[in-house]
Amino acid sequence: MSQFLLVLVSGVASGAVYGLMGLGLVIIYRATDVVNFAMASLATLGLYVAVSLHDRGVATVLGILAAVAITVAAGLLVRETVIRPLGQGQLFSALVVTMGVSLVLESLAGSIWGDQPKAFPNLVDGTVRWSGAAVPVQSLVTIAVAAVAMGLVGYLFARTTLGSAMRAVAESADTARIVGLGAQRIARLSWALGLGLAALAACLYAPRSGLVPTALVAPLFRAFAGIFLGGLTSMYGAVIGGLTIGVLDNLAANYVSASFRDTFVFSFTVLVLLIRPQGMFGTRTFQRV
Amino acid sequence: MFRTTKRFRRTLGTLAVVAAVSLTANACADQDSSGSAGSATEIHIGAWLPLTGATASYGVPEKAGADAYFKMINESGGINGRKVKWTVKDNAADPQQTVQIARELVGQDKVVAIVNANGTSQAEAAFPFVLTQSKVPVLNEVGGSESWYDPPRAGLFGTQTLYEDQAAAVAAWAVQDGAKKILVVHSDPAAFVNVAEQVGPVAKKVDPSVEVDRLPVKYQTTDYTPVISKVKAAKTQAVILILTSPEAAAFLKEAKLQGLDLPTYAYAPVAAESTVSLAKDAAEGLKAVQLVKAPSDPDPAVAEFRTAMAKYEPGQDAGFLALWGWSNAKVFAQIAKTIKGDVTSQAISAAYAKASSVDPGVSPVMKFSASDHLGTRSVQRVEVKNGVWTSVGDFYTPPARG
Repeated sequence: MSQFLLVLVSGVASGAVYGLMGLGLVIIYRATDVVNFAMASLATLGLYVAVSLHDRGVATVLGILAAVAITVAAGLLVRETVIRPLGQGQLFSALVVTMGVSLVLESLAGSIWGDQPKAFPNLVDGTVRWSGAAVPVQSLVTIAVAAVAMGLVGYLFARTTLGSAMRAVAESADTARIVGLGAQRIARLSWALGLGLAALAACLYAPRSGLVPTALVAPLFRAFAGIFLGGLTSMYGAVIGGLTIGVLDNLAANYVSASFRDTFVFSFTVLVLLIRPQGMFGTRTFQRV
Repeated sequence: MFRTTKRFRRTLGTLAVVAAVSLTANACADQDSSGSAGSATEIHIGAWLPLTGATASYGVPEKAGADAYFKMINESGGINGRKVKWTVKDNAADPQQTVQIARELVGQDKVVAIVNANGTSQAEAAFPFVLTQSKVPVLNEVGGSESWYDPPRAGLFGTQTLYEDQAAAVAAWAVQDGAKKILVVHSDPAAFVNVAEQVGPVAKKVDPSVEVDRLPVKYQTTDYTPVISKVKAAKTQAVILILTSPEAAAFLKEAKLQGLDLPTYAYAPVAAESTVSLAKDAAEGLKAVQLVKAPSDPDPAVAEFRTAMAKYEPGQDAGFLALWGWSNAKVFAQIAKTIKGDVTSQAISAAYAKASSVDPGVSPVMKFSASDHLGTRSVQRVEVKNGVWTSVGDFYTPPARG
């Protein structure tokens, strides 16, 4: 039982990270039609800045705030310089551009900070005893921080004027412009929010993985699986999809095979998509020919 | 008039094609030489190394270590009065790029040997051109497999104890420490599986009553919670890690969190500074094997390395990987020193085949012969003590496998 609890908590913590990243991806995708493959590399830049500050004696929390700020700033710079000039609706061009940006940023990070793995500090050290299991406090903090961030995003979109405007732009940028909403401003805000969430997720993930220029490729991959499982257009779907991936991944590793954990998780995802191509919470769209 | 011009053009075109083909053939024939000639003032050698990309963390320090050695001996007059010129090109760990680099090094730079390059598949991609066609030796490559040396191939000589022998060495160590039940935790790609499979037979050779199980783990796993649960359930007495350094660090951290306190052993890729920096105090007591002595070792040969690194490569860590590069450069220099006359590709290959005892000090004594192109099967046992990798005893040769 204690082992099950440990595996479950760890899975929820990993899933919370994938969910946050997925949420960021969905927010950006819905607002600007861009599947942002550069998100992980941008967040990695933020992580390196946080580690550099930590090495100079800056508190971890301030380092995390700096990571979020750097990621958002770098992301907006990328959007304004290489994504926005492509124009609206250039899904595949934007996809390729973000992939290219991702590779460039990985090389840049390697050149500046080196390729040797670096340790990223925990927000909180230690464990708590729970039903005989020593549960890492970092895992509980990860779950709590992710839950608060997701709650705030939910509040923003459901209860605020800004959130309503972002949803309107997501539904139809042209219509939103006609009724006087600044689509570009909303798009920038969406990128900032999405990247901020990704940076936060990265800071929660990095203490476990260590930091190399490609450290966030694996969670980004799982976040994508989560959003396809949950539904590419659904924010709830991204969160629940990510959590499902994290928990299933750990349960599969413990009860099926530590080697076939990905196989199990992605087989499940494929199965769900075969039955429900739009994902668990996505909406099916039809195009008139 | 029109027909004549057309025929003239066709003839001209045919001639151009014939000329191009002959030029290409000549160029190829030029490259199909028997290695490059030596110079009276310089020994020009080359290497491909991953200086960017995913494995740059290996290539950069490896280059720094060898650079430090070559700078040191050049400052003291070189090898028999010849300065060493070591041309390194970045292959980003890409086999296709390696082939292009090999053509540049051999065809344009006219290097007499490839020394201290990095990568198994990368080197294999370049072998047909470098070894077979150009007859330029490939020496002291970091990487390699059993098939490289059995049977021996002309011009291919190695200094790195095979991963399989490293696994054999840790297996013997765990059994000698009294473990009767051993669990090998390994990544699941075939390269790791093959190494992990060597543990069982050698452990049983040392003590037939030993039980060995394997636990494959998905490559690049970061969440080791379920894995540690499985290790606990296995009720083992010792764990052997055949993982990458970050994976091993993740294993150790999770083991500490879950209160798993077992003697843990690992092969050389885990015995890296990054394992200690990532796992911190969870790495304390980790035992592993290495190709070289610990960089902190008080041995004079290692002290010389530290001094040279501080002098010639001040921005680089004087760690294990730099020491690999240093050791490979030193082995090459010691063997090249035995050459009387021109240092050509053929002369270097012949000198290696006759190098029956080369002692670089920082790594095991290398013994080459015409029938044995792999210099050593020995390893250095190391252990993390007070957060630092520390040598344990002298070099150790594991029991024969198979």
